[in-house]
Amino acid sequence: MKKALQLLSALTTGSAAAGVLLLAGALAFVLITRGSAAISPAFLTQETREAGASGGILWQIAGTLILVATAALVALPFATALGITRAWLLPPQSRPARVLGFILQLLNAVPSILLGILGLILFTGMLGWGKSWLAGGVLLGIMIVPTAAVMLANRIESLPRGQLDAAAGLGLRRGHIIRSIILPQSAAALLSGMLLGLARAAGETAPILFVAAVFSGATIPTGIHEQPVLALPYHIFVLAQDSFQEASRTNLWGAALVLVTLVSLPALAAIPMRHKLHNAADHA
Amino acid sequence: MHALPHGRLTWQKRRPPDAVVFTCLAAAALFLALLGFTLILWVREAWPAIRAHGGEMLTSGEWFYRHQHFGALAMIYGSAVVSLLALLLAAPVAFATAIFISEWLPHTLRPWAKAAVEFLAAIPSVIYGLLGIMFLRTWMADWLAPFDPLSGDMLLTAAVLLAVMILPTVTTFAEDSLRAVPAAQRLAARGLALNRTQTIHRIVLPQAWPGMIGAALLGLGRGLGETIAVFLIIGRLDNRLPESLLDPAPLIEPGQTLTSKLGGPETHIAMGDPLHWGAILTLGLILLVLTTLFVSLGNLLLRKNPAHP
Repeated sequence: MKKALQLLSALTTGSAAAGVLLLAGALAFVLITRGSAAISPAFLTQETREAGASGGILWQIAGTLILVATAALVALPFATALGITRAWLLPPQSRPARVLGFILQLLNAVPSILLGILGLILFTGMLGWGKSWLAGGVLLGIMIVPTAAVMLANRIESLPRGQLDAAAGLGLRRGHIIRSIILPQSAAALLSGMLLGLARAAGETAPILFVAAVFSGATIPTGIHEQPVLALPYHIFVLAQDSFQEASRTNLWGAALVLVTLVSLPALAAIPMRHKLHNAADHA
Repeated sequence: MHALPHGRLTWQKRRPPDAVVFTCLAAAALFLALLGFTLILWVREAWPAIRAHGGEMLTSGEWFYRHQHFGALAMIYGSAVVSLLALLLAAPVAFATAIFISEWLPHTLRPWAKAAVEFLAAIPSVIYGLLGIMFLRTWMADWLAPFDPLSGDMLLTAAVLLAVMILPTVTTFAEDSLRAVPAAQRLAARGLALNRTQTIHRIVLPQAWPGMIGAALLGLGRGLGETIAVFLIIGRLDNRLPESLLDPAPLIEPGQTLTSKLGGPETHIAMGDPLHWGAILTLGLILLVLTTLFVSLGNLLLRKNPAHP
Protein backbone atom coordinates (compact mmCIF):
# COMPACT_ATOMS: atom_id res chain seq x y z
CA MET A 1 0.00 0.00 0.00
CA LYS A 2 2.75 2.41 0.96
CA LYS A 3 4.74 1.39 -2.07
CA ALA A 4 1.74 1.95 -4.30
CA LEU A 5 1.24 5.43 -2.89
CA GLN A 6 4.91 6.20 -3.46
CA LEU A 7 4.65 5.05 -7.04
CA LEU A 8 1.48 7.06 -7.61
CA SER A 9 3.07 10.23 -6.26
CA ALA A 10 6.19 9.79 -8.36
CA LEU A 11 4.09 9.01 -11.43
CA THR A 12 1.76 12.02 -11.18
CA THR A 13 4.54 14.54 -10.59
CA GLY A 14 6.72 12.76 -13.12
CA SER A 15 4.09 12.88 -15.83
CA ALA A 16 3.62 16.62 -15.26
CA ALA A 17 7.37 17.10 -15.63
CA ALA A 18 7.39 14.89 -18.72
CA GLY A 19 4.60 17.04 -20.13
CA VAL A 20 6.65 20.20 -19.61
CA LEU A 21 9.67 18.56 -21.21
CA LEU A 22 7.52 17.41 -24.12
CA LEU A 23 6.11 20.91 -24.53
CA ALA A 24 9.61 22.42 -24.72
CA GLY A 25 10.63 19.72 -27.20
CA ALA A 26 7.52 20.23 -29.32
CA LEU A 27 8.02 23.99 -29.50
CA ALA A 28 11.66 23.56 -30.51
CA PHE A 29 10.64 20.93 -33.08
CA VAL A 30 7.94 23.11 -34.66
CA LEU A 31 10.20 26.15 -34.84
CA ILE A 32 13.08 24.20 -36.35
CA THR A 33 11.09 22.16 -38.87
CA ARG A 34 8.98 25.09 -40.07
CA GLY A 35 11.71 27.70 -39.87
CA SER A 36 14.61 25.84 -41.45
CA ALA A 37 12.88 25.82 -44.85
CA ALA A 38 13.43 29.57 -45.07
CA ILE A 39 16.94 29.74 -43.66
CA SER A 40 19.67 30.34 -46.21
CA PRO A 41 22.57 32.77 -46.53
CA ALA A 42 20.36 34.89 -48.78
CA PHE A 43 17.58 35.03 -46.16
CA LEU A 44 20.00 36.50 -43.65
CA THR A 45 21.68 38.95 -46.01
CA GLN A 46 18.86 40.29 -48.20
CA GLU A 47 16.25 42.91 -47.48
CA THR A 48 12.57 42.03 -47.26
CA ARG A 49 10.56 42.11 -50.49
CA GLU A 50 6.84 41.80 -51.31
CA ALA A 51 5.82 42.59 -47.72
CA GLY A 52 7.61 39.60 -46.32
CA ALA A 53 6.73 37.04 -48.98
CA SER A 54 10.22 37.00 -50.46
CA GLY A 55 13.67 38.32 -49.77
CA GLY A 56 15.28 38.12 -46.35
CA ILE A 57 15.38 39.78 -42.96
CA LEU A 58 18.73 41.61 -43.07
CA TRP A 59 17.48 44.95 -41.74
CA GLN A 60 15.27 43.35 -39.12
CA ILE A 61 18.30 41.57 -37.69
CA ALA A 62 20.37 44.76 -37.95
CA GLY A 63 17.63 46.80 -36.27
CA THR A 64 17.28 44.35 -33.40
CA LEU A 65 21.06 44.38 -32.89
CA ILE A 66 21.07 48.20 -32.90
CA LEU A 67 18.28 48.28 -30.29
CA VAL A 68 19.97 45.70 -28.10
CA ALA A 69 23.40 47.36 -28.31
CA THR A 70 21.86 50.70 -27.36
CA ALA A 71 20.02 49.04 -24.48
CA ALA A 72 23.30 47.54 -23.25
CA LEU A 73 25.07 50.91 -23.30
CA VAL A 74 22.18 52.57 -21.47
CA ALA A 75 21.76 49.83 -18.88
CA LEU A 76 25.36 48.96 -17.97
CA PRO A 77 26.30 52.09 -15.96
CA PHE A 78 22.97 52.24 -14.11
CA ALA A 79 22.89 48.51 -13.38
CA THR A 80 26.44 48.64 -12.04
CA ALA A 81 25.73 51.68 -9.87
CA LEU A 82 22.46 50.32 -8.52
CA GLY A 83 23.92 46.87 -7.80
CA ILE A 84 26.90 48.30 -5.91
CA THR A 85 24.75 50.81 -4.07
CA ARG A 86 22.26 48.19 -3.03
CA ALA A 87 24.76 45.56 -1.84
CA TRP A 88 27.81 47.53 -0.71
CA LEU A 89 27.28 51.23 -0.22
CA LEU A 90 24.04 50.93 1.73
CA PRO A 91 24.38 48.97 4.99
CA PRO A 92 22.96 45.47 4.51
CA GLN A 93 19.44 44.80 5.86
CA SER A 94 19.07 48.53 6.46
CA ARG A 95 15.84 50.14 5.42
CA PRO A 96 17.31 52.00 2.40
CA ALA A 97 18.91 48.79 1.09
CA ARG A 98 15.67 46.86 1.47
CA VAL A 99 13.64 49.62 -0.18
CA LEU A 100 16.05 49.75 -3.11
CA GLY A 101 15.87 45.96 -3.46
CA PHE A 102 12.07 46.18 -3.41
CA ILE A 103 12.02 48.91 -6.08
CA LEU A 104 14.27 46.83 -8.32
CA GLN A 105 11.99 43.80 -7.91
CA LEU A 106 8.93 45.84 -8.80
CA LEU A 107 10.65 47.42 -11.77
CA ASN A 108 11.48 43.93 -12.99
CA ALA A 109 7.77 43.11 -12.96
CA VAL A 110 6.47 46.21 -14.74
CA PRO A 111 4.51 45.03 -17.79
CA SER A 112 6.52 45.85 -20.89
CA ILE A 113 3.57 47.51 -22.62
CA LEU A 114 3.75 50.24 -19.98
CA LEU A 115 7.32 50.95 -21.09
CA GLY A 116 6.03 51.34 -24.62
CA ILE A 117 3.48 53.90 -23.45
CA LEU A 118 6.12 55.60 -21.32
CA GLY A 119 8.04 56.00 -24.57
CA LEU A 120 5.06 57.82 -26.08
CA ILE A 121 4.95 60.20 -23.10
CA LEU A 122 8.70 60.88 -23.01
CA PHE A 123 10.05 60.61 -26.52
CA THR A 124 7.06 61.31 -28.73
CA GLY A 125 5.20 63.72 -26.46
CA MET A 126 7.91 65.61 -24.58
CA LEU A 127 10.89 65.40 -26.93
CA GLY A 128 9.01 65.15 -30.22
CA TRP A 129 11.30 62.45 -31.62
CA GLY A 130 8.66 60.55 -33.55
CA LYS A 131 9.72 56.94 -34.02
CA SER A 132 13.37 56.58 -33.15
CA TRP A 133 15.82 53.73 -32.56
CA LEU A 134 17.20 55.65 -29.58
CA ALA A 135 13.81 55.72 -27.85
CA GLY A 136 13.50 51.95 -28.27
CA GLY A 137 17.04 51.36 -27.05
CA VAL A 138 16.54 53.48 -23.94
CA LEU A 139 13.25 51.73 -23.07
CA LEU A 140 14.79 48.28 -23.51
CA GLY A 141 17.74 49.49 -21.43
CA ILE A 142 15.43 50.51 -18.58
CA MET A 143 13.88 47.05 -18.81
CA ILE A 144 17.14 45.18 -18.24
CA VAL A 145 18.59 47.41 -15.48
CA PRO A 146 16.85 45.55 -12.62
CA THR A 147 17.81 42.07 -13.93
CA ALA A 148 21.51 42.94 -14.14
CA ALA A 149 21.53 45.03 -10.93
CA VAL A 150 19.93 42.27 -8.86
CA MET A 151 22.35 39.61 -10.16
CA LEU A 152 25.29 41.91 -9.40
CA ALA A 153 24.00 42.73 -5.92
CA ASN A 154 23.45 39.04 -5.08
CA ARG A 155 26.97 38.24 -6.19
CA ILE A 156 28.47 41.07 -4.12
CA GLU A 157 26.58 39.84 -1.07
CA SER A 158 28.03 36.35 -1.51
CA LEU A 159 31.65 37.56 -1.77
CA PRO A 160 33.85 36.21 1.04
CA ARG A 161 33.48 38.67 3.92
CA GLY A 162 37.04 38.09 5.03
CA GLN A 163 38.49 39.76 1.97
CA LEU A 164 36.29 42.79 2.29
CA ASP A 165 36.97 43.12 6.00
CA ALA A 166 40.70 42.69 5.39
CA ALA A 167 40.62 45.39 2.71
CA ALA A 168 38.77 47.74 5.04
CA GLY A 169 41.22 46.86 7.81
CA LEU A 170 44.12 47.82 5.57
CA GLY A 171 42.58 51.25 5.33
CA LEU A 172 41.43 50.96 1.71
CA ARG A 173 38.77 53.48 0.89
CA ARG A 174 35.37 52.28 -0.23
CA GLY A 175 35.93 53.37 -3.83
CA HIS A 176 39.22 51.53 -3.87
CA ILE A 177 37.58 48.36 -2.55
CA ILE A 178 34.94 48.62 -5.26
CA ARG A 179 37.55 48.93 -7.99
CA SER A 180 40.10 46.38 -6.82
CA ILE A 181 38.01 43.72 -5.05
CA ILE A 182 34.30 43.95 -5.75
CA LEU A 183 34.20 44.68 -9.47
CA PRO A 184 36.87 42.15 -10.55
CA GLN A 185 35.17 39.39 -8.59
CA SER A 186 31.61 40.18 -9.57
CA ALA A 187 32.10 41.22 -13.20
CA ALA A 188 31.04 37.76 -14.39
CA ALA A 189 27.74 38.05 -12.54
CA LEU A 190 27.13 41.52 -13.94
CA LEU A 191 27.91 40.29 -17.43
CA SER A 192 25.63 37.26 -17.20
CA GLY A 193 22.85 39.43 -15.78
CA MET A 194 23.30 41.80 -18.69
CA LEU A 195 23.26 38.93 -21.19
CA LEU A 196 20.07 37.46 -19.75
CA GLY A 197 18.44 40.87 -19.77
CA LEU A 198 19.55 41.57 -23.32
CA ALA A 199 18.21 38.23 -24.49
CA ARG A 200 14.84 39.12 -23.06
CA ALA A 201 15.03 42.63 -24.54
CA ALA A 202 15.85 41.31 -28.02
CA GLY A 203 12.56 39.42 -28.13
CA GLU A 204 10.35 42.19 -26.75
CA THR A 205 7.74 43.72 -28.99
CA ALA A 206 5.67 45.88 -26.66
CA PRO A 207 8.31 48.50 -25.69
CA ILE A 208 9.24 49.19 -29.33
CA LEU A 209 5.70 48.95 -30.70
CA PHE A 210 4.86 52.66 -30.57
CA VAL A 211 8.16 54.52 -30.53
CA ALA A 212 10.88 52.62 -32.37
CA ALA A 213 9.85 49.97 -34.87
CA VAL A 214 8.32 50.12 -38.33
CA PHE A 215 7.49 47.29 -40.72
CA SER A 216 9.35 48.55 -43.77
CA GLY A 217 11.31 51.42 -45.18
CA ALA A 218 14.11 51.75 -42.66
CA THR A 219 17.74 50.64 -42.74
CA ILE A 220 20.58 52.06 -40.65
CA PRO A 221 19.47 55.18 -38.75
CA THR A 222 21.46 58.33 -39.43
CA GLY A 223 20.10 60.57 -36.70
CA ILE A 224 17.59 60.63 -33.87
CA HIS A 225 14.43 62.40 -35.07
CA GLU A 226 12.10 60.19 -37.11
CA GLN A 227 14.72 57.46 -37.45
CA PRO A 228 12.94 54.18 -36.79
CA VAL A 229 14.40 50.73 -37.30
CA LEU A 230 13.00 47.43 -38.46
CA ALA A 231 13.06 44.77 -35.76
CA LEU A 232 12.59 41.01 -35.76
CA PRO A 233 9.86 40.79 -33.08
CA TYR A 234 7.87 43.60 -34.66
CA HIS A 235 8.24 42.00 -38.09
CA ILE A 236 6.83 38.73 -36.75
CA PHE A 237 4.10 40.60 -34.87
CA VAL A 238 2.87 42.31 -38.05
CA LEU A 239 3.14 39.24 -40.29
CA ALA A 240 1.39 37.06 -37.69
CA GLN A 241 -1.65 39.30 -37.96
CA ASP A 242 -1.75 38.67 -41.73
CA SER A 243 -1.17 34.98 -41.24
CA PHE A 244 -3.85 34.05 -43.74
CA GLN A 245 -1.34 35.13 -46.40
CA GLU A 246 0.20 31.81 -47.37
CA ALA A 247 2.98 33.50 -49.33
CA SER A 248 4.77 34.95 -46.34
CA ARG A 249 4.39 31.90 -44.06
CA THR A 250 7.71 30.24 -44.80
CA ASN A 251 9.64 33.43 -44.22
CA LEU A 252 7.57 34.18 -41.13
CA TRP A 253 8.63 30.88 -39.55
CA GLY A 254 12.17 31.56 -40.69
CA ALA A 255 12.15 34.90 -38.90
CA ALA A 256 10.71 33.21 -35.81
CA LEU A 257 13.51 30.62 -35.80
CA VAL A 258 16.15 33.34 -36.19
CA LEU A 259 14.64 35.33 -33.31
CA VAL A 260 14.46 32.34 -30.96
CA THR A 261 18.05 31.44 -31.84
CA LEU A 262 19.17 35.03 -31.25
CA VAL A 263 17.39 35.07 -27.90
CA SER A 264 18.79 31.70 -26.80
CA LEU A 265 22.41 32.51 -27.66
CA PRO A 266 23.11 34.96 -24.80
CA ALA A 267 21.35 32.61 -22.38
CA LEU A 268 23.63 29.80 -23.56
CA ALA A 269 26.67 32.06 -23.23
CA ALA A 270 25.61 32.88 -19.68
CA ILE A 271 25.40 29.21 -18.62
CA PRO A 272 29.16 28.60 -18.10
CA MET A 273 29.36 31.86 -16.16
CA ARG A 274 26.42 30.95 -13.97
CA HIS A 275 27.89 27.51 -13.44
CA LYS A 276 31.13 29.12 -12.26
CA LEU A 277 29.20 31.44 -9.95
CA HIS A 278 27.28 28.51 -8.54
CA ASN A 279 30.47 26.60 -7.80
CA ALA A 280 32.05 29.69 -6.30
CA ALA A 281 29.01 30.16 -4.09
CA ASP A 282 29.18 26.52 -2.98
CA HIS A 283 32.81 26.79 -2.00
CA ALA A 284 32.55 30.17 -0.33
CA MET B 1 31.59 38.30 11.08
CA HIS B 2 30.16 41.54 12.36
CA ALA B 3 33.45 42.89 13.67
CA LEU B 4 33.48 45.71 11.15
CA PRO B 5 30.66 47.96 10.10
CA HIS B 6 29.67 47.22 6.55
CA GLY B 7 31.98 48.81 4.03
CA ARG B 8 33.29 51.58 6.17
CA LEU B 9 35.22 52.22 9.32
CA THR B 10 34.14 54.97 11.63
CA TRP B 11 37.21 57.11 10.97
CA GLN B 12 36.58 56.88 7.25
CA LYS B 13 33.49 58.98 7.67
CA ARG B 14 35.65 62.04 8.12
CA ARG B 15 37.21 61.77 4.70
CA PRO B 16 35.40 63.30 1.73
CA PRO B 17 33.69 60.63 -0.40
CA ASP B 18 35.86 59.43 -3.25
CA ALA B 19 35.06 59.62 -6.93
CA VAL B 20 33.96 56.00 -7.42
CA VAL B 21 31.54 56.04 -4.52
CA PHE B 22 30.20 59.41 -5.56
CA THR B 23 29.66 58.29 -9.17
CA CYS B 24 27.86 55.13 -8.03
CA LEU B 25 25.55 56.96 -5.66
CA ALA B 26 24.91 59.74 -8.17
CA ALA B 27 24.04 57.32 -10.98
CA ALA B 28 21.76 55.27 -8.70
CA ALA B 29 20.05 58.43 -7.46
CA LEU B 30 19.67 59.76 -11.00
CA PHE B 31 18.02 56.52 -12.12
CA LEU B 32 15.58 56.54 -9.22
CA ALA B 33 14.85 60.23 -9.71
CA LEU B 34 14.08 59.64 -13.39
CA LEU B 35 11.75 56.79 -12.43
CA GLY B 36 9.94 59.03 -9.96
CA PHE B 37 9.79 61.80 -12.55
CA THR B 38 8.19 59.52 -15.17
CA LEU B 39 5.64 58.28 -12.64
CA ILE B 40 4.68 61.87 -11.79
CA LEU B 41 4.48 62.72 -15.49
CA TRP B 42 2.27 59.68 -16.05
CA VAL B 43 -0.15 60.58 -13.27
CA ARG B 44 -0.24 64.21 -14.41
CA GLU B 45 -1.24 63.25 -17.93
CA ALA B 46 -3.76 60.72 -16.64
CA TRP B 47 -5.28 63.32 -14.32
CA PRO B 48 -7.83 64.92 -16.71
CA ALA B 49 -9.53 61.54 -17.15
CA ILE B 50 -9.33 60.61 -13.47
CA ARG B 51 -10.86 63.94 -12.49
CA ALA B 52 -13.65 63.72 -15.05
CA HIS B 53 -14.41 60.00 -14.92
CA GLY B 54 -12.54 58.66 -11.88
CA GLY B 55 -15.05 56.31 -10.25
CA GLU B 56 -16.94 55.63 -13.45
CA MET B 57 -13.84 54.04 -14.98
CA LEU B 58 -13.89 51.30 -12.36
CA THR B 59 -17.65 50.72 -12.29
CA SER B 60 -18.75 51.12 -15.90
CA GLY B 61 -18.23 48.57 -18.63
CA GLU B 62 -18.91 50.97 -21.45
CA TRP B 63 -15.93 52.26 -23.39
CA PHE B 64 -16.89 54.45 -26.34
CA TYR B 65 -14.17 57.02 -26.77
CA ARG B 66 -16.00 58.98 -29.45
CA HIS B 67 -18.77 59.59 -26.91
CA GLN B 68 -16.34 60.17 -24.08
CA HIS B 69 -17.41 57.04 -22.23
CA PHE B 70 -14.40 55.51 -20.51
CA GLY B 71 -15.49 52.49 -18.48
CA ALA B 72 -12.73 49.99 -17.89
CA LEU B 73 -14.70 47.24 -16.18
CA ALA B 74 -14.97 44.97 -19.21
CA MET B 75 -11.19 45.10 -19.65
CA ILE B 76 -10.55 44.52 -15.95
CA TYR B 77 -12.94 41.56 -16.17
CA GLY B 78 -11.09 40.25 -19.25
CA SER B 79 -7.69 40.60 -17.58
CA ALA B 80 -8.90 38.94 -14.38
CA VAL B 81 -10.63 36.02 -16.10
CA VAL B 82 -7.81 35.32 -18.53
CA SER B 83 -4.98 35.47 -16.00
CA LEU B 84 -6.82 33.66 -13.19
CA LEU B 85 -7.84 30.89 -15.55
CA ALA B 86 -4.29 30.69 -16.88
CA LEU B 87 -3.01 30.35 -13.33
CA LEU B 88 -5.61 27.70 -12.55
CA LEU B 89 -4.43 25.69 -15.56
CA ALA B 90 -0.72 26.27 -15.04
CA ALA B 91 -0.28 26.02 -11.26
CA PRO B 92 -1.05 22.29 -10.77
CA VAL B 93 1.30 21.31 -13.61
CA ALA B 94 3.96 23.76 -12.44
CA PHE B 95 3.78 22.60 -8.81
CA ALA B 96 3.92 18.92 -9.77
CA THR B 97 6.84 19.57 -12.10
CA ALA B 98 8.67 21.54 -9.43
CA ILE B 99 8.13 18.74 -6.90
CA PHE B 100 9.36 16.16 -9.37
CA ILE B 101 12.46 18.14 -10.34
CA SER B 102 13.33 18.99 -6.74
CA GLU B 103 12.38 15.78 -4.92
CA TRP B 104 12.37 12.83 -7.32
CA LEU B 105 14.73 13.60 -10.17
CA PRO B 106 18.31 12.36 -9.69
CA HIS B 107 20.82 15.14 -9.05
CA THR B 108 22.56 14.69 -12.39
CA LEU B 109 19.41 15.08 -14.47
CA ARG B 110 18.21 18.24 -12.72
CA PRO B 111 20.14 20.74 -14.89
CA TRP B 112 18.59 19.25 -18.03
CA ALA B 113 15.06 19.58 -16.75
CA LYS B 114 15.78 23.12 -15.65
CA ALA B 115 17.22 23.91 -19.08
CA ALA B 116 13.93 22.84 -20.69
CA VAL B 117 11.98 25.09 -18.30
CA GLU B 118 14.34 27.97 -18.98
CA PHE B 119 13.93 27.46 -22.72
CA LEU B 120 10.16 27.86 -22.32
CA ALA B 121 10.76 31.03 -20.30
CA ALA B 122 13.15 32.45 -22.88
CA ILE B 123 10.79 32.20 -25.86
CA PRO B 124 9.58 35.74 -26.68
CA SER B 125 5.90 36.43 -26.28
CA VAL B 126 5.47 37.29 -29.96
CA ILE B 127 6.55 33.71 -30.76
CA TYR B 128 3.93 32.34 -28.35
CA GLY B 129 1.46 34.63 -30.08
CA LEU B 130 2.49 33.23 -33.45
CA LEU B 131 2.05 29.66 -32.21
CA GLY B 132 -1.33 30.69 -30.81
CA ILE B 133 -2.45 32.09 -34.15
CA MET B 134 -1.12 29.20 -36.21
CA PHE B 135 -2.17 26.28 -34.01
CA LEU B 136 -3.97 26.93 -30.75
CA ARG B 137 -6.67 29.14 -32.26
CA THR B 138 -7.68 26.41 -34.71
CA TRP B 139 -7.46 23.64 -32.12
CA MET B 140 -9.65 25.52 -29.69
CA ALA B 141 -12.22 26.33 -32.36
CA ASP B 142 -12.38 22.65 -33.37
CA TRP B 143 -12.43 21.37 -29.82
CA LEU B 144 -15.21 23.74 -28.75
CA ALA B 145 -17.17 23.34 -31.97
CA PRO B 146 -20.19 21.84 -30.09
CA PHE B 147 -20.60 25.22 -28.37
CA ASP B 148 -20.43 27.03 -31.68
CA PRO B 149 -17.90 29.80 -31.01
CA LEU B 150 -17.58 32.60 -33.59
CA SER B 151 -13.90 31.84 -34.12
CA GLY B 152 -10.87 30.60 -32.23
CA ASP B 153 -10.25 34.11 -30.89
CA MET B 154 -11.70 33.96 -27.40
CA LEU B 155 -10.88 34.47 -23.75
CA LEU B 156 -10.36 30.73 -23.25
CA THR B 157 -7.73 30.55 -26.03
CA ALA B 158 -5.89 33.47 -24.46
CA ALA B 159 -6.05 31.77 -21.06
CA VAL B 160 -4.62 28.50 -22.40
CA LEU B 161 -1.79 30.28 -24.20
CA LEU B 162 -1.09 32.40 -21.14
CA ALA B 163 -1.01 29.23 -19.01
CA VAL B 164 1.83 27.89 -21.15
CA MET B 165 3.64 31.21 -20.87
CA ILE B 166 3.49 31.49 -17.07
CA LEU B 167 4.22 27.78 -16.57
CA PRO B 168 8.03 28.24 -16.50
CA THR B 169 7.77 31.25 -14.15
CA VAL B 170 5.68 29.38 -11.58
CA THR B 171 7.75 26.19 -11.94
CA THR B 172 11.07 27.97 -11.42
CA PHE B 173 10.02 29.91 -8.33
CA ALA B 174 8.16 26.95 -6.82
CA GLU B 175 11.25 24.82 -7.33
CA ASP B 176 13.38 27.48 -5.66
CA SER B 177 11.18 27.45 -2.59
CA LEU B 178 11.28 23.62 -2.42
CA ARG B 179 15.07 23.70 -2.72
CA ALA B 180 15.20 26.20 0.13
CA VAL B 181 14.11 23.50 2.57
CA PRO B 182 17.45 22.28 3.99
CA ALA B 183 18.60 18.91 2.68
CA ALA B 184 19.52 17.89 6.23
CA GLN B 185 15.81 17.84 7.14
CA ARG B 186 15.10 15.40 4.32
CA LEU B 187 17.93 13.18 5.50
CA ALA B 188 16.65 13.32 9.08
CA ALA B 189 13.14 12.40 7.93
CA ARG B 190 14.47 9.44 5.97
CA GLY B 191 16.45 8.47 9.06
CA LEU B 192 13.17 8.42 10.98
CA ALA B 193 11.91 5.85 8.47
CA LEU B 194 9.62 8.22 6.57
CA ASN B 195 9.55 7.27 2.92
CA ARG B 196 10.03 9.82 0.18
CA THR B 197 6.32 10.57 -0.29
CA GLN B 198 5.88 11.08 3.43
CA THR B 199 8.97 13.27 3.54
CA ILE B 200 7.55 15.45 0.75
CA HIS B 201 4.11 15.73 2.33
CA ARG B 202 5.06 16.13 5.98
CA ILE B 203 8.45 17.85 5.89
CA VAL B 204 9.02 19.65 2.60
CA LEU B 205 5.61 20.93 1.50
CA PRO B 206 4.50 22.38 4.86
CA GLN B 207 7.60 24.58 4.79
CA ALA B 208 7.63 25.34 1.09
CA TRP B 209 3.99 26.15 0.48
CA PRO B 210 4.12 29.89 1.26
CA GLY B 211 6.87 30.17 -1.32
CA MET B 212 4.82 28.15 -3.80
CA ILE B 213 1.84 30.45 -3.32
CA GLY B 214 4.31 33.30 -3.85
CA ALA B 215 5.40 31.64 -7.10
CA ALA B 216 1.76 31.46 -8.20
CA LEU B 217 1.25 35.16 -7.43
CA LEU B 218 4.34 36.06 -9.47
CA GLY B 219 2.85 34.01 -12.30
CA LEU B 220 -0.40 35.93 -11.93
CA GLY B 221 1.46 39.24 -12.08
CA ARG B 222 3.29 38.11 -15.20
CA GLY B 223 0.05 36.94 -16.78
CA LEU B 224 -1.73 40.22 -16.08
CA GLY B 225 1.02 42.19 -17.79
CA GLU B 226 1.44 39.95 -20.82
CA THR B 227 0.47 41.89 -23.92
CA ILE B 228 1.61 40.74 -27.32
CA ALA B 229 0.56 37.09 -27.25
CA VAL B 230 -2.83 37.88 -25.70
CA PHE B 231 -3.32 40.73 -28.18
CA LEU B 232 -2.93 38.34 -31.11
CA ILE B 233 -5.55 35.79 -30.09
CA ILE B 234 -8.14 37.37 -27.83
CA GLY B 235 -10.24 38.95 -30.54
CA ARG B 236 -10.03 42.44 -29.00
CA LEU B 237 -13.74 43.11 -28.80
CA ASP B 238 -14.72 45.97 -26.48
CA ASN B 239 -17.47 46.09 -23.88
CA ARG B 240 -18.11 42.38 -23.39
CA LEU B 241 -19.24 42.33 -19.79
CA PRO B 242 -21.45 39.41 -18.70
CA GLU B 243 -24.49 39.87 -16.46
CA SER B 244 -23.01 37.53 -13.88
CA LEU B 245 -19.38 36.96 -12.96
CA LEU B 246 -19.89 33.22 -13.08
CA ASP B 247 -21.46 33.20 -16.53
CA PRO B 248 -19.21 30.90 -18.62
CA ALA B 249 -20.49 32.15 -21.99
CA PRO B 250 -17.88 34.97 -22.42
CA LEU B 251 -15.10 32.40 -22.22
CA ILE B 252 -15.79 31.27 -25.76
CA GLU B 253 -16.34 34.80 -27.03
CA PRO B 254 -13.78 37.37 -28.04
CA GLY B 255 -12.94 39.99 -25.45
CA GLN B 256 -10.47 42.59 -24.36
CA THR B 257 -7.91 42.80 -21.58
CA LEU B 258 -6.23 45.91 -20.16
CA THR B 259 -3.05 45.00 -22.02
CA SER B 260 -4.65 44.15 -25.36
CA LYS B 261 -6.37 47.55 -25.24
CA LEU B 262 -3.13 49.35 -24.40
CA GLY B 263 -1.25 47.53 -27.14
CA GLY B 264 -3.84 48.37 -29.77
CA PRO B 265 -4.11 51.22 -32.25
CA GLU B 266 -6.31 53.27 -29.92
CA THR B 267 -3.26 54.24 -27.86
CA HIS B 268 -1.87 56.17 -30.83
CA ILE B 269 -5.22 57.74 -31.66
CA ALA B 270 -5.68 58.88 -28.07
CA MET B 271 -2.56 61.02 -27.95
CA GLY B 272 -4.21 64.09 -29.43
CA ASP B 273 -7.10 64.26 -26.96
CA PRO B 274 -6.15 64.91 -23.30
CA LEU B 275 -9.24 63.16 -21.95
CA HIS B 276 -8.91 60.05 -24.13
CA TRP B 277 -5.14 59.96 -23.54
CA GLY B 278 -5.72 60.35 -19.83
CA ALA B 279 -8.16 57.43 -19.89
CA ILE B 280 -5.60 55.23 -21.68
CA LEU B 281 -2.95 56.20 -19.13
CA THR B 282 -5.41 55.44 -16.32
CA LEU B 283 -5.80 51.93 -17.75
CA GLY B 284 -2.02 51.73 -17.51
CA LEU B 285 -2.14 52.84 -13.88
CA ILE B 286 -4.78 50.22 -13.05
CA LEU B 287 -2.56 47.59 -14.65
CA LEU B 288 0.49 48.88 -12.76
CA VAL B 289 -1.32 48.81 -9.42
CA LEU B 290 -2.61 45.25 -10.00
CA THR B 291 0.75 43.79 -11.08
CA THR B 292 2.59 45.64 -8.30
CA LEU B 293 0.15 44.24 -5.77
CA PHE B 294 0.52 40.61 -6.85
CA VAL B 295 4.25 40.76 -7.44
CA SER B 296 5.09 42.37 -4.10
CA LEU B 297 2.82 39.94 -2.27
CA GLY B 298 4.46 37.08 -4.18
CA ASN B 299 7.95 38.26 -3.34
CA LEU B 300 7.00 38.68 0.28
CA LEU B 301 5.85 35.05 0.45
CA LEU B 302 8.88 33.83 -1.48
CA ARG B 303 11.17 35.49 1.03
CA LYS B 304 9.65 33.39 3.79
CA ASN B 305 12.58 31.13 3.22
CA PRO B 306 12.43 28.16 5.63
CA ALA B 307 16.22 28.16 5.77
CA HIS B 308 16.12 31.53 7.53
CA PRO B 309 13.27 31.39 10.05
